[in-house]
Amino acid sequence: MTLLNRLKSVVLWIARRDRAEQDLNDELQAFVDMAAADKVRVGATPAEAHRLAVLELGGVEQIKEQVRTGRHGGRLDAAARDVLYGLRQVRRNPAFFGVAIATLALGIGGLTAMFSTFDAVLIRPLPYAEADRLVMIWDALAKTDITSKGNSTPAEWIEWRRLNTVFTDLAASQPGDATLSGDGDPEQVPARKVTWTFWSVLGTQPMLGRAFTEDEDLKSVRVVVISYGLWQRRYGGASDIVGRTISLNDEAYEVIGVMPRNFYFMPSREIDIWMPASFPGWMRRNFTWHDAQIVARLKPGVTLQHAREAMTSLSLQVTAKDFRGPHSVIVTPLREEIAGKTQNALTLLLSAAAALLLIACANLTNLLLSRGAARGREVAVRLALGAGRARLVRQFLIESLVLAALGTLAGLALAVPAMRFLERLVPEAMGAGRVTLDWRVLAFSTALGLAATVIFGLAPALRGSRVAPQERLRDGGRGTAGSRSHAVQHSLIVVETALAVVLLICGGLLLQTFQHLRNTDLGFPRERLLTFETPLFRYNKDFDRRVAFINAEVEKVRAIPGVMSAGSINLIPFTNFASATFYLLEGQPKDGFAGQVALIRNVSRDYFATIGAQLREGRLFTAADRRSSPPVAIVNETFADRHFAGRSALGQRFQFGELGDKGYWYTIVGVLRPIPESGVLAEAKPSVYRVREQCEQIDDLNAGIVVRTAVEPASIVPAVREAIWSVDRNQPVARIQTMQDIVDRQLSTPSQSTALLGAFAFLALLLASLGIYGVLSYAVTQRTNEIGVRMALGATSGRILVSVGRRGLELTLCGLAIGLVLAVIASRLMTALLYGFRPDYIPTVAVVSVVLVGIAAVACFVPARRASRVDPMRALRHE
Amino acid sequence: MEKLDIPQGTLDLMILTILSREPVHGYGISQRLAALSRGEFQVNPGSLFPSLYRLEQDGKLKAEWQPTENNRRAKYYRLTAAGKRQLEQHRERWNRATFAVTCVLEGA
Repeated sequence: MTLLNRLKSVVLWIARRDRAEQDLNDELQAFVDMAAADKVRVGATPAEAHRLAVLELGGVEQIKEQVRTGRHGGRLDAAARDVLYGLRQVRRNPAFFGVAIATLALGIGGLTAMFSTFDAVLIRPLPYAEADRLVMIWDALAKTDITSKGNSTPAEWIEWRRLNTVFTDLAASQPGDATLSGDGDPEQVPARKVTWTFWSVLGTQPMLGRAFTEDEDLKSVRVVVISYGLWQRRYGGASDIVGRTISLNDEAYEVIGVMPRNFYFMPSREIDIWMPASFPGWMRRNFTWHDAQIVARLKPGVTLQHAREAMTSLSLQVTAKDFRGPHSVIVTPLREEIAGKTQNALTLLLSAAAALLLIACANLTNLLLSRGAARGREVAVRLALGAGRARLVRQFLIESLVLAALGTLAGLALAVPAMRFLERLVPEAMGAGRVTLDWRVLAFSTALGLAATVIFGLAPALRGSRVAPQERLRDGGRGTAGSRSHAVQHSLIVVETALAVVLLICGGLLLQTFQHLRNTDLGFPRERLLTFETPLFRYNKDFDRRVAFINAEVEKVRAIPGVMSAGSINLIPFTNFASATFYLLEGQPKDGFAGQVALIRNVSRDYFATIGAQLREGRLFTAADRRSSPPVAIVNETFADRHFAGRSALGQRFQFGELGDKGYWYTIVGVLRPIPESGVLAEAKPSVYRVREQCEQIDDLNAGIVVRTAVEPASIVPAVREAIWSVDRNQPVARIQTMQDIVDRQLSTPSQSTALLGAFAFLALLLASLGIYGVLSYAVTQRTNEIGVRMALGATSGRILVSVGRRGLELTLCGLAIGLVLAVIASRLMTALLYGFRPDYIPTVAVVSVVLVGIAAVACFVPARRASRVDPMRALRHE
Repeated sequence: MEKLDIPQGTLDLMILTILSREPVHGYGISQRLAALSRGEFQVNPGSLFPSLYRLEQDGKLKAEWQPTENNRRAKYYRLTAAGKRQLEQHRERWNRATFAVTCVLEGA
């Protein structure tokens, strides 16, 4: 029989199923009639003949079942009937299935949503050719306190490029904010200066136009490649953008290309302009100019480990010329750099979601086991009517599958809104809009549904179908209260309780950490503090004009109604970890600066008063600290304690910037409580503050303004713009945000991971206690008879209460103990998320234990109390 | 005397053989099988009907409701051309198999 014919016959059979069933019925009836007629002919009475004929035929339902499964398509047909049967079950027991589907939906929805984010950040390809061959190279600065991974220098890039053997090529990029003007309001856009090798290393090209060439880079030709976002936003997606001349920092640049929409690169997705690095001659030879980030592509066949070894020895050789002495490099995969801490957070949250799904599955297994036991009579009847064991297992599994399918659908409905929230976990260096419901996520949740079916459905199916029909029909369907069934249910309770404990403990530790981070002393009150930046490229060349401009803008801002005070600092606190320098204390040998790095900030006189910095000793800057007076500095406690522990730092002198005879000597006049300039989550670094008027010898490209307001900070934003533009109409005002916004954004990864883990832990607790409640109340229902007997024999209701409740509490305590041990292991894996904070285990463990035992006690008490109120007379009649 | 089990795979062959003479209904097939096997085989309806339905679905048999000699209605099975071909093939194979078995038994 050909396949086509076979298919046709299957379809015909299914289509005509009802008629075929009727046919079979009639045929079997005819069989009995004819057999009976024959027996009458040989002398039996009609009644006797009929009885014998029916016996001869045997079990009608069994024959029908064998006919059904024997023919082609019979299995498919039976499966379809099982699905319908399963759906009917759902409709008939809305409460049972409601709980089951909701449980599963939480588990599958949570894991699906977490997977979509995990996939977006850590699995899905980055927008570069063979992105797994890309690495970042950092200077190793282990000896200094600023950061262990430092930016590299253009000079190193040149040397590494010339001498390395492990990369096909390397590209360097430097920060370079740019002000767009001339065609609309002046706008400050994030820009990067990149070497011409940038495009070939990343293996990405502009979608329109071209990238710049080596020649253009070396000859400092004014060309730029812009982002898709800028093209759309500022130029309305104009088709003639390539070739257009735009005004960047008051200079004419030609737009030669537009990057694809999905392109992004370190350090931020918001970069709008890539311009040639065009390193000046002095920079190409200067091993102290640390502002370049280096990305490189591994040669085919070169491993990361090999590259690390090769680059370490190369760097020691190259930096032998560095005045600090030779240092090593750190080579990291690009993906790791882009994902940052999010990687740890996502891994933790994905594991938590998986644990939640396991708890949900454990609960479902228990629910189905209970139900399977209660369905013993139905199973016995089906077995007696001719259903095979395989057929029953299949039916149970298909019911579970129906359940899983509904649960998965409901889970997806939960996951989609959750994804919008999770989008915020995507690191800032990565493109936006990545967390979506795509085929990968759908495939994942489908796989979850199937896996869950096997996990929670198999045991109940195997157990539920193992019934000896006669016994079960005899015992009136009282359920199989076998001890093995209890052992399975009880160990599942222990497992889910333990998992819930792990989640609760981890959640508690994160919460403590988050509380700590949020309450970290930032060195000044952050409320009602508006910040913004005014780039100073127009005043770069002329120191006097620069100071005059800054003073004028601060003055105008201060005059705005609702403003209490205003001040300026070159880099707004918490937003920049760069701008650091080596320094030398008076009396130290000339080469004593190795490892002595401090952050440097230039401030206006009224800056500290505006933010409300706290002085530990000495004084703040005063009107007496002028350009012509002796240079003074204020340092933070970290700096002072590093060098002058136990004594006053006041009056001590140090020099930095231009080291040697040309450098200025600064005298310390004040010591501040530390402000973690490089970021809310970072430790405070040694920092030095100078008054702006004494900063003549260095470039100062940016003026950050901080404004303390009496009113809602956002309400004065238009007035601020007007104030700045009244000083200079072409002055861009960039990054207007409140200090609170800055802090909140930096806390967003810890706060979101804490919130999510907290939610998972809460749900885990809920499900685990529901599980305990379900198993105990089922046991009580099953044991009603026994309890009745015991009470009739004199057991008090108190004793019954204790005996039922104790079982539940024993299981809980067992789960708690195992969970605490597992939590210790789990918490080791999340140290990266504790940001150096060492949370105290004891309170977390105590609170979790009390809460768990308390909730479990309620979950045990309700069924136990019902048991203790059993009326013995009714219980004994309970059949 | 205890009835013999119907050897595996031979039920279809016997059904087709019985039907090769004339169309017969299910009960008739079971009666003839008993008679032709001298009472050694008694086919269980639980095996007979699944076989009949599968053979019908495979196109070897065609079934029709017809009146019986006693004026009842019964479902008569009739061999199709495909059924005849199958019967010939199976019969040929069966003859070879029984001959082979006999050879082995006698040679031993």
